[in-house]
Amino acid sequence: MTRVATDVGGTFTDLVYFETDPATGRQTIRTAKSDTTPPDFERGILDVLDKAGIALPTLKFFAHGTTLVINALTERKGVVTGLITTAGFRDVLEIGRGNRPAFFDVHYKKPEAFVPRALRREVGGRMTYRGEETATLDLAGLDTILADFRAAGVGAIAVCLLHAYANPAHERALLAAIRERWAKVPLVASHQITREWREYERTNTTVLSAYVQPIAERYLDRLEHSLGARGFGGQIYIMQSNCGVDSLAATKTIPITMVESGPASGVWAAAELGRAIGMPNVLALDIGGTTAKCALIEGGHVQIKTDYWIERSRTSAGYPIMVPVVDLVEIGNGGGSIAWVDDFGKLHVGPQSAGAMPGPAAYGRGGTRATTTDANLALGRINRDYFCGGEVVADMAAADAAMAEVAGQLGVAPIEAARGIVRIANNNMINALKMVSINRGHDPRDFTLVAFGGGGGMHAAALAMELGVRHVVIPRGAAVFSAWGMMMSDLRRDYFVTRLIELDVADPVAALAALVDEIGGQATAQFAAEAIAPERVAMQRLVKCRYQNQEHTVEVPLGAGAIDAAALAALVADFHTAYEREYTYRLAAPVEIVGLHLVAQAEIGKLDFLPLEVTGATLSAARKGRRTVDYAQDGVHDADIYDAALLEPGMAFDGPAIIEDSGTTIVVHAGQHVHIDRFGNTHIEVPQ
Amino acid sequence: MSRDPFTLDVIQQALSAIADEMFVVFKRTAMSPIIYEVLDVGTGITDPDGNMVSSGAGIPGFVGVLDKCVQHLLRLLPKESIRPGDIYITNDPYYGGVTHLNDAVLAMPVFADGRLVAWVANIGHWSDVGGSVPGSMAVDARDIYAEGLRLPAIKLIDAGVANEAVLAILAANSRLPDFLRGDLWSAIASLRKGNERIVRLVASYGQDDFAAAIADYFDYAERHARAGLAKLPKGRFPLEEAMDDGTVWRAIIEITDDSFTVDVRDAPDQRALPFNTSRDGALVAAQLIFKMATSPDTVCNAGSYRPLRFLTRPGSIFDTIEPAPHGYYSEIRIRLADMLWHRLAQAAPEMFPAGHFASICGTVIAGRHPQTGRRYTMVEPQMGGWGATATRDGNSAMYSSNHGETFNCPVEIAEARYGFTFQRYALSDEAGGDGLHKGGPGMLIEYAIGGSETSLSAGYTRNKAPVWGSAGGEAGTTNRIEVDHHAGRHESYAFVSGLRLEAGDIVRIITARGGGWGKAT
Repeated sequence: MTRVATDVGGTFTDLVYFETDPATGRQTIRTAKSDTTPPDFERGILDVLDKAGIALPTLKFFAHGTTLVINALTERKGVVTGLITTAGFRDVLEIGRGNRPAFFDVHYKKPEAFVPRALRREVGGRMTYRGEETATLDLAGLDTILADFRAAGVGAIAVCLLHAYANPAHERALLAAIRERWAKVPLVASHQITREWREYERTNTTVLSAYVQPIAERYLDRLEHSLGARGFGGQIYIMQSNCGVDSLAATKTIPITMVESGPASGVWAAAELGRAIGMPNVLALDIGGTTAKCALIEGGHVQIKTDYWIERSRTSAGYPIMVPVVDLVEIGNGGGSIAWVDDFGKLHVGPQSAGAMPGPAAYGRGGTRATTTDANLALGRINRDYFCGGEVVADMAAADAAMAEVAGQLGVAPIEAARGIVRIANNNMINALKMVSINRGHDPRDFTLVAFGGGGGMHAAALAMELGVRHVVIPRGAAVFSAWGMMMSDLRRDYFVTRLIELDVADPVAALAALVDEIGGQATAQFAAEAIAPERVAMQRLVKCRYQNQEHTVEVPLGAGAIDAAALAALVADFHTAYEREYTYRLAAPVEIVGLHLVAQAEIGKLDFLPLEVTGATLSAARKGRRTVDYAQDGVHDADIYDAALLEPGMAFDGPAIIEDSGTTIVVHAGQHVHIDRFGNTHIEVPQ
Repeated sequence: MSRDPFTLDVIQQALSAIADEMFVVFKRTAMSPIIYEVLDVGTGITDPDGNMVSSGAGIPGFVGVLDKCVQHLLRLLPKESIRPGDIYITNDPYYGGVTHLNDAVLAMPVFADGRLVAWVANIGHWSDVGGSVPGSMAVDARDIYAEGLRLPAIKLIDAGVANEAVLAILAANSRLPDFLRGDLWSAIASLRKGNERIVRLVASYGQDDFAAAIADYFDYAERHARAGLAKLPKGRFPLEEAMDDGTVWRAIIEITDDSFTVDVRDAPDQRALPFNTSRDGALVAAQLIFKMATSPDTVCNAGSYRPLRFLTRPGSIFDTIEPAPHGYYSEIRIRLADMLWHRLAQAAPEMFPAGHFASICGTVIAGRHPQTGRRYTMVEPQMGGWGATATRDGNSAMYSSNHGETFNCPVEIAEARYGFTFQRYALSDEAGGDGLHKGGPGMLIEYAIGGSETSLSAGYTRNKAPVWGSAGGEAGTTNRIEVDHHAGRHESYAFVSGLRLEAGDIVRIITARGGGWGKAT
């Protein structure tokens, strides 16, 4: 079985190729990288396939991730979009939620709506929150609206009507009416994306999906044709933001679900790894060039939510996208993050990044500002003679000059400045890790830190010490670890549905059972349409519960058995327990059900981790030498340097040490113990 | 001893993260929409003397309240009575409550090795604390006794043990005891979380580094404030403005190289109506304007306000003497902030936007839900138009300068929760605010009441004199709330309380357009 995962990033298109020999079980892994080629992204994909020498006709499985959607959104490269909504509510999209995160800033600028007022149009008709029709849909104005849209060059239409989550009949009728009048226009209605309430979030999500739909569709079409033209006959799967993959056809209809696919695949890989090594409680940390992403995985389960926003920060309210996205925190702190000193003498790292061009000062491409990577070089943590896996000669003069400038502004020695940069960068990441653990009611000490991406290994051991984490794992192939996730994902769909069920009314058991049946049936039908039989679809039923009158809900798993009075009682008992664990108290107040989160998954022949071969080589063969390494607060030590490519399962040694791989460096502190597991992952025991 | 600056920085950031975490806990566990959705809450950490160190996201109007409350507690309480695990509560502006009786402030001392090292505190709006009208904000209250239950800075939790008598009194004095209980425990959970985190932080770094980090943080914020102060025009800027009720308020801003003085001693006498604020409440307005003018984008702590002087006269609307009522203190406070802002904009029009709708537009509707039959109380501020600036048109519909991370209630949720039927949720097209750059539009909201036993209370200022324009820009419009009674009677209100509404009555909220900037060309 051969599988390929390709990931189109802003700068590079990455490829990871896995071949498993059915006779020996031996795994071959190859990686390749080529330039991303906007706007014809498929060209970069074909380039990287050529570079890796992949014969497409032999390929069975092609997984694909792309930043196309998020880039089109943040660069405002989508199409002119028209919105049709319920009479009286066209301004919902612009009003937003009314908040101002930068609340002392009188010059705060509200994020601009993606559809201007002239293209936000209304039709009559109303539903209630219980899904009852109180006014029939009035299509009298539709012809005028569509004529205006055509005249304005509208390239996609979004439809979002009030309470469509409760009853989408009007949205369906409106879609059909638009189709009759304008067959070819890219078109999407809110109920096709989400069945949750909150009209601003739902409207904005629908608008953003329409905004990128033509671009995504064209891209996916071309990808399909290009691969087909080269003889590819297998399945194409597109990575989604919910840690699953989805079919090409489904993604074309609702492309917005790809929005966070890159980070999601890394989180999923970490979850799979945790299960494989018997450590299902994982704090996943992915440190790239520009950002660091973290997520918490409990008992092997990732948390999928629909409370996702783009461009939200301390200075902007951002835009909501109400689709299933893995619950992660992303901060502007990666290897290329720029260190700077403010007017009042305080050191900051990020969020501005030197990117790939000019990159850190040590790249020697004209960068003059010190980055986290430059600080790690200055401290001897990164090998200046093996920079970027030996592909780049470190420009130490440029790095030293950049560091001297920061040091001068702080009034300290350059080495102090370098230590400060690493400490501040670590602190930023610690705060992000706390946000996904402590702020969600979890103690990081109960978790294994799985760190990957180019910078994960460099910082993980220090972060673990600070957080009280006892065990760190740096996966084999850490620099391309995210790509594993794409090949280990199930075909997965998350259905979020708002439906109020009060437990003190007539028959809550029947109401809950009806809801589960309805949504479960919908999921089964969707899979069946793709020739996946119901018995292959695993369902997990999470019921969203809250105390009556509260707003925020807790997801409580509903057992797999029949839904009866006993199951409901168990659900309520589990809710009290889950609530108390998260919030320290429980109430005697009545509990109510607000909706369902149903996860439907089907395995599609995903990749497993396989043991790494043991050749009997000795540890000393892997030792490259010793050098002096500055561990910031932990002092300066002579550290053993190891070549990651020569480490084998069963090998073990103590810190201080540095493990060098072509794409990453692992920093091991004094007193820490390292061993290599049977899959070739690096484990670091962190004594507390 | 010279300390490593990065260690101090790490502690400072941790303190900021802890205040945020307290906020998250409060928000996620609260029972009332005014807390979890409108986020009418604040969390904060002070040093042992009540100087503000950091505050959780929330609203600027609440950021500067918690430190004053702790300072008040320290004046009231014998030091030896403060013990680990204690939690104090006050809602009374005469006992450190700062705002009005609806706002419950809880404060908890943080001890490390037997020594008081910090306080954690939070404030949240309780939907009902008794008094003569649902929602506890009667527009005709003659004194504070008419506004509900007073909690004069008492120990709610004594060394970890809740005072059940106090809890029983609290519940018995609210029309919404279940909400009150839920919100109270939410506030307690938030404080306990903050306490636990600070104890751990001090254990990691030691009391000396902890104290040094706080002192350094104050100095850092002060440097920011002084850098901003240096850019402001210097001089003595007297101001006066006629209010909706015809009274004229006078004040003076005096800016020198190293101080910013707000003198409101010439303000009107306090009234036997709920349009007064405590001195601390008025000080928050002066702090808000000073902060906006000097260092809007940075940390906010006690150091930020070191150059600020505030002069008041006891017995005036800005410095009350017991038992003046405080229900609508926030309108008094925002009027003061708005007139100070206006004067600064006259002095330096390029630096400040034109006026915004500048009212909380607090709206309270209580009633019985048409489907569930349960009682509800909706308490919410409104969004309105913001002023144009020297470079662009004003923002449409956002909450007032008193607010920040305040969120509206989605129509779909409001219809389910209150049984209203919304006809419109739109930007208002009323003309006004013209200029080189145009003021942003306010809101036009219309809904029909669904259930029974419904009453309306509201407090809107900027109802007669329109929002001010700047640098030759035109004035914006005004705020009001209208009711179309289904009997055919039509009324427009600024302040109203306990107004009976019937099912089918239409409530219409119209908020002002912001002021224009510069002459239209």
